[in-house]
Amino acid sequence: MNKRILIVEDDTSISNIIKMNLTIVGYETVQAHDGIEALETIRSGKFDLILLDVMIPRMDGFELMEKIRPLEIPVIFLTARESVFDKVSGLKLGADDYMVKPFEAIELLARIETVLRRYGKEESVISFHDIQVYLDKREVTVRGAVAELTPKEHDLLVALLKNKNIALSREQFIEKVWGGDFYGETRTVDMHIKSLRKKLGLQDHIKTIYKIGYRLED
Amino acid sequence: MKFWQKICLFSIITFIVIFNAASIMVIERNHSKMLQQEMNNTLSANMSINSSVNAIVPILRIYDSIDYEKTVLTNIAQEFVEKNSGQGNYLEIAGDQNKTIYSNLDFDMPTDREELEGLQPDEIRYILRDIGSRTLLFTTNVTDINHKSYRFTYIKDVTPLYTERVEQYNFFVKIDIAACLLYIIVMFLISKGLTRPIDRMVRTAKEIAQGQFSERVQLKSRDEIGVLATNFNEMASVVEDKIIELERNNSAQQRFINNITHELKTPLTSIIGYANYLRTTKYDETAFLEGVNVIYNEGKRLEALSSKLMDLILLTDRQPLMKPDNLKDIVAEMESSLRLIASAKQIELELQCGDSPLSAEKDLIKVVIFNLVDNAVKASGEKGRIAVRTAMQGEACVLEVADEGSGIAEEHIDNIFEPFYMADKARTRNNNGAGLGLSICRSIAELHQAAIEVVSVIGQGTTIRVVFWQQNRVIEVSGS
Repeated sequence: MNKRILIVEDDTSISNIIKMNLTIVGYETVQAHDGIEALETIRSGKFDLILLDVMIPRMDGFELMEKIRPLEIPVIFLTARESVFDKVSGLKLGADDYMVKPFEAIELLARIETVLRRYGKEESVISFHDIQVYLDKREVTVRGAVAELTPKEHDLLVALLKNKNIALSREQFIEKVWGGDFYGETRTVDMHIKSLRKKLGLQDHIKTIYKIGYRLED
Repeated sequence: MKFWQKICLFSIITFIVIFNAASIMVIERNHSKMLQQEMNNTLSANMSINSSVNAIVPILRIYDSIDYEKTVLTNIAQEFVEKNSGQGNYLEIAGDQNKTIYSNLDFDMPTDREELEGLQPDEIRYILRDIGSRTLLFTTNVTDINHKSYRFTYIKDVTPLYTERVEQYNFFVKIDIAACLLYIIVMFLISKGLTRPIDRMVRTAKEIAQGQFSERVQLKSRDEIGVLATNFNEMASVVEDKIIELERNNSAQQRFINNITHELKTPLTSIIGYANYLRTTKYDETAFLEGVNVIYNEGKRLEALSSKLMDLILLTDRQPLMKPDNLKDIVAEMESSLRLIASAKQIELELQCGDSPLSAEKDLIKVVIFNLVDNAVKASGEKGRIAVRTAMQGEACVLEVADEGSGIAEEHIDNIFEPFYMADKARTRNNNGAGLGLSICRSIAELHQAAIEVVSVIGQGTTIRVVFWQQNRVIEVSGS
């Protein structure tokens, strides 16, 4: 079952773009545009995570946070404010993370994933067509048969799957798979992608995006 | 050393010194007076012997017999001693070569008697001597009888005077100790009492220093300390006011910065978000159209925001170029553009413009009128009505924009002129407003020394009046 995420954001455009980004990687989303609406929505449904804007009408994010804390739903604050005070008070109130606008979609996705993992809500199996990825065992099967992947290939596949339908640049792949202290060439990514396509038969799904990088498409 | 301790200590020292000195002086003076009196008595007693002797000298000359002289002198001496029979009276009569003729001394006459040197007849000398434990007053004179010198020494015991003085000192020491103790206690209480208000002020000052600015000294007295306390309280309330003002300014500034960040970052988040989405995902027509639309609109919003911010920044500390003008003409010039923004909601725009000459910078007044009408349009529903009026009211020139829209809740009215303040955030945002219009109007009004009045009833509409005061007309008269 897909994870349900509530987006509390008064600016329609921002709310929509978040929704689009979350939907495309497979999350189910619900939108609320002010504090009161958000509170009602939270009480009437079950959510795995809440993205909460601080400056929202009728009841601000901090106030809402205090009210929903007993429900123990993970919360990530979204805000334009950058002051340390706000960060501290947000985190003190029990927020799990804090994102300052403007933010990049893949950063948001990464934070959501981290928070969900912390709460043990992360899927242990990711399916894509006839491919199954068992994250715990670090095992990949294609049509039931185990595929032999190197550790880096495995991580690259996971990064592609988690950012499904979104193009990531070679630099972003390097950061996610090799870590920030990798000083090799971006061509390394191309070689691993080539090998992944071949081993898993993903030639049609891993698209090369001009001027950007690669994208895994359904 | 603490102040009360200083008061206490110095006054105690002063008291002890003065009290002791005064008492000692009194005792000493008393003693010396009595001594003087005693001397006088003694001297006169001596003189009376002398005169008795002198009285019989003629008789003694006739007889001219040493034995007779001795007998007579002894008789006189005995008579004298009997007469002065009190304690401690001694008489010695000595003839030539210190031969004692009469003596009732119960001690040995001191051998070294410096008072005798060069003693002339008919001269009386006296001296005080301590013999044993007694103090004795010696009075001596020499009388010549038949060419022989006789020395008369009358001695008076003055020890009681000294004993008396010692007794007085003993008594004084007791009194002194008691008085000083009493004084110390009284002074302690007094200095404590006098400095208690100071202590209280010190405590209050400390509390204020620790940030409790509303703390005050509670003192009712009218003396200097009371005055000081009153002044102190006045100072504290001035400081408190200043602090509150600073905090308010600070929080207004903080709010301004928060708002500006928010207003800048919200459109940026959308623009970057959509652009990135379009850039990184597979082409989808609906998403594409929605995306570029949002990017365009948010870009426009940023443009509007930046131009308004520039207006607001440029308006501060600027001297307007005042020229004689007429509100009526300015409104007439703007009519078409005002009707254009009103037509978006099919609002009926009513212009009731009376002649109202004033001195102003035309372009700025246009900004005010535009912003006020724009706000009125945003507050109004479809097919509402907006009235723009200009008129002279007494000496003042008045611009009035009235709508029949949603109105402003009372709690918001005080804040609507604050930059980025939005009574209804969602609505303002949907109307592409940043909440700067009224701030700009206020800045312009301030440049023109004009006042802005707001009358608003929820659900019935808002009327905003800009009142340009007379002084502008004075400038106008001098300018034309």
